[in-house]
Amino acid sequence: MEFIGISIDVLLITSTLALAAFGLAIVYGLIGVINMGHGAMLTLGAYLTWYFISLNIPFFLCIIFSGIGVALVGIALEHFIIRKFYDRPFDTLLLTWAFFLITTEVIKIIFGTDFKNIEAPIAGAFEVFGVNIPAYRFLVCLFTIFLITISNIIFLKTDLGIKIRALIQNKEVAGLMGLDINLTYKAVFGFGSFMAGIAGGLIAPMLSIDPYMGNIYLVRSFFVVIVGGVGHLLSGTVIGSFLIGGTETLFAIFSDQVVSQASVFLLAIVLLRLRPNGIMNKKDV
Amino acid sequence: MEVRVKKNKKNKSIVNKKISRRDAIKSIGYLAIGALASPALIRSAHAANPIKVGVISPLSGAWTVYGKAHIAGFELAVDEINAKGGVLGRKMELVIGDSKTEPRIVVEQANRLIRNEKVDFLAGTFSSAERNAAGPVVKALDKVLLYPTFYEGQEKEYYPGVCNKNIFMFGPEPTQQVWPHMEYMMNKFGKKFFMIGSDYAWPRVTNMVTKRKLKELGGSVVGEVYIPFGTPQYESVLRDIRNAKPDIIFHSLTGSDTVNFRQQFAAAGMKEDFALWTVDDEEVVTTGLGPKVSGNDYVSFDYFMSIKHPNNAKFLKNFRKKFGQDALMNTVGVAMYNAAHMAALAIEKAGKLDTASLRENLKGISFNDAPQGPVTMRKDDNQIIVPSYLMQVNPSWTNVGNMFNEVQSFQKVVPLAARCSLPL
Amino acid sequence: MFKYKKFNFIFIFVFLTFIPMIFKGYIVFILPQYILFGVLAMSLAFIWGNAGILSFGQASFFAIGGYTFGLLIKFFPEINHFFLGSLIVIFLGFVVAVITSYFLFSAGVKATYFVLATLALSILTEQLAVTKSTLTGGWNGLFVDRINIKVGDFTLLDLSGDVKFFYLILFISLITYLILNYLENNKIGKVLRGIRENENRMLAMGYKTSFYKTVAFGVSGSVAALAGALYAAHASFISPSIAGVLFSTEVVVWVAIGGRYSLLGAFAGGIIVSFLSSYLSTITPQYWQLFLGIIFIVTIIFFKDGLAGIFKKRYERNNIK
Repeated sequence: MEFIGISIDVLLITSTLALAAFGLAIVYGLIGVINMGHGAMLTLGAYLTWYFISLNIPFFLCIIFSGIGVALVGIALEHFIIRKFYDRPFDTLLLTWAFFLITTEVIKIIFGTDFKNIEAPIAGAFEVFGVNIPAYRFLVCLFTIFLITISNIIFLKTDLGIKIRALIQNKEVAGLMGLDINLTYKAVFGFGSFMAGIAGGLIAPMLSIDPYMGNIYLVRSFFVVIVGGVGHLLSGTVIGSFLIGGTETLFAIFSDQVVSQASVFLLAIVLLRLRPNGIMNKKDV
Repeated sequence: MEVRVKKNKKNKSIVNKKISRRDAIKSIGYLAIGALASPALIRSAHAANPIKVGVISPLSGAWTVYGKAHIAGFELAVDEINAKGGVLGRKMELVIGDSKTEPRIVVEQANRLIRNEKVDFLAGTFSSAERNAAGPVVKALDKVLLYPTFYEGQEKEYYPGVCNKNIFMFGPEPTQQVWPHMEYMMNKFGKKFFMIGSDYAWPRVTNMVTKRKLKELGGSVVGEVYIPFGTPQYESVLRDIRNAKPDIIFHSLTGSDTVNFRQQFAAAGMKEDFALWTVDDEEVVTTGLGPKVSGNDYVSFDYFMSIKHPNNAKFLKNFRKKFGQDALMNTVGVAMYNAAHMAALAIEKAGKLDTASLRENLKGISFNDAPQGPVTMRKDDNQIIVPSYLMQVNPSWTNVGNMFNEVQSFQKVVPLAARCSLPL
Repeated sequence: MFKYKKFNFIFIFVFLTFIPMIFKGYIVFILPQYILFGVLAMSLAFIWGNAGILSFGQASFFAIGGYTFGLLIKFFPEINHFFLGSLIVIFLGFVVAVITSYFLFSAGVKATYFVLATLALSILTEQLAVTKSTLTGGWNGLFVDRINIKVGDFTLLDLSGDVKFFYLILFISLITYLILNYLENNKIGKVLRGIRENENRMLAMGYKTSFYKTVAFGVSGSVAALAGALYAAHASFISPSIAGVLFSTEVVVWVAIGGRYSLLGAFAGGIIVSFLSSYLSTITPQYWQLFLGIIFIVTIIFFKDGLAGIFKKRYERNNIK
């Protein structure tokens, strides 16, 4: 019974973390942008969702609109700034951090600093093997699985996906073969931002909405992507989330919260060392 | 510095001084120093000799949420005081410092306000950490600090953040906020407490003090968990709670963590099974939670917007007139309001303004128009004596006006003596 | 290249020396703290500018220094805090930095991943400071008594006054600058810059690059720790937020604006930007972070070499006849 309870907790935490990290996995994993503004994108998604809900738009549509909103912001960021710095990862790091500073301030100015909240569209919980599962959380979990699977299919099976992967493998050759590099980068960055926006909106009912909420997931998302393996969209994100989120839960059973959180970061550093290119990559690429 | 002589079209010599790096650095330096000094210069050009109060508030950073009510209370009081002609014929004036929710910035701001802006006394800081950061400063520079927030009480080891003769506490400590209501809660729900709080001194000491009374009343602690700041997921804690089967969840989480926890607690359907008593979630947080998540939970403080004291009706009217119908006020903002008025009263009583006489006259002073009912500053340990209210959140609240229903209240709760060498 | 390159630093330090003589009060109190931020910035510029190693963990060394110093004063009142304490702090900063970086560099962890590891280090240090609250005071912070510099029983320097402490900190900053400058201009600096340009080539030439990177990070850690110790002694108070990610990122902002390739630029950047943040936040508490973010973006895009780069270009232009 206890085991089932723990397993379900781990499942829920893993899926939430995977959802939050997915946008970063796309942007960092595929086109190498160290997006320190990822947390701000999650926050922006949450606020946009709150805003659309206040206009009485159905929850599901709000999520989509928020995703689009954040995607537009992301594309603008890419077009005006990031585009010139793809070969300078440290500079993209700093620029995206500046994006975080500015976005957070703009959110504070537009929406104010009070706590905001969104009610979960599905209330209540249901019992499975004697364990209580919040209905909404479970739905988000299913949605995350669906989302990651679809994205993976797009990247692995479709034309577009093959083009993108070609681009990452070898930019020059891909360009020579007629691929519009700029457009592809823009599309990927936009898609990653879209995912971050959606994630922010979906997570919002579970958390307090304040200008800094997304940053809780920032460092964790980075570790998920690195530990899981840069470039492995599905398996990397899932395994990374499981290792980071799952171990935190498991550690928490045996010790207190602070120790478990600290241990996870320590574990991440150790894993970084053992597998510098992530769990999924066996050799140096 | 190079001086070049050019010949322009009309063959006249133009002396063209190029700016060297040295000059550039120097001019930036002068600009910077001038800028640092300018607020003092500008202010001294203004009207006759006001009483300057340095207010340190979290206007940016993680606890921006609390900054507004914090400062609003003080501003309202100052308006009222000035409308009546000020203190000793002088107007009161606020000089604001943003603490950015960072204790190290509080050190900076406290020094700046006292040394640069030459304020007469300080008010504010929000968290215990911020107050502790200001402690050495007000001790070394000998200025009074009026501290508004509900806190963990004074223990000698945290001197000079507490037990500091210059720091006056206008918010309740656990023996005032928690003890009076324990018997009621235990009689109603049961004797087993599960304690969950953020991982820092206020929740830990509050729990320690609560446990003392709990033992006296025959209760027990079936779980005690401390959560680091910025924890998004509470699955494991929720499971621990279910396994421990408590009667009451005693809650002292702060910031966004409290909202995260209570949202997930409600989503897991646990509200039906356990009573929740929070000593942190006032109007600002409860507004962020919404009625479904917060409904039927218990909260205890010295002040709520919903309390039905005649003083409060008058206070809220003035407050809303100045800040709008939807503005939020809470225990901390009201403590700032009381602090301003009580300081004014103390200065009037002393007939003059300096740190020693302010200190002497604040001790023992009463303020009968406090929104929650009359309050008194205790002589020996600089601790305010306030009412204590236990409220239950209305499950269908729509605004701060109908958010809380009173369960019980005590007009005057005398706290335990501070654990310092008294008198201060 | 420059006529006065060797002696630029004199201008800045002389300028700072005159401040307590002209001004009194708040500036003399607060400037040493900004100067120490400048030293912290130098610790980052040393590894970032030379070796290309970006670190988001400088705050953790700063905090390690501060807390260690404060705890030594608290629990060991008998020892000579200034000399012995400083040595302990420098040593501890070095050791922690070396252990962390060796652990990662020896496995060939890429620079971009290293950044994230340093981020984790900041978080870890902050958590540690919070959780060991019986030792550190947790979020309530640690009070640090003002000490005097003693040799045996003889008081060399009484630090209770602001002015003396100011000059002491200025002096220590000068020494630190000279040491780092020396290292930069000598073998280790050249090797680090070689590593920044092309690590594989350096490896091929026979240099153990991970050794050099580790030592450099160790030096950086010890400088940051010393700055932290002096800061704690000066501010009389230290709390966990000084270890965290937000402060670490501020250090990066200082160095980016001041100039990552210049120790002096970073030093000035640390002082100027922290002063600017403080000043902006008093005139516009709501919008100052917005302005800072914009300045930051503009600097990264247009002024990659920071303020130091701007001065360098102007000076070069002036000198071309």
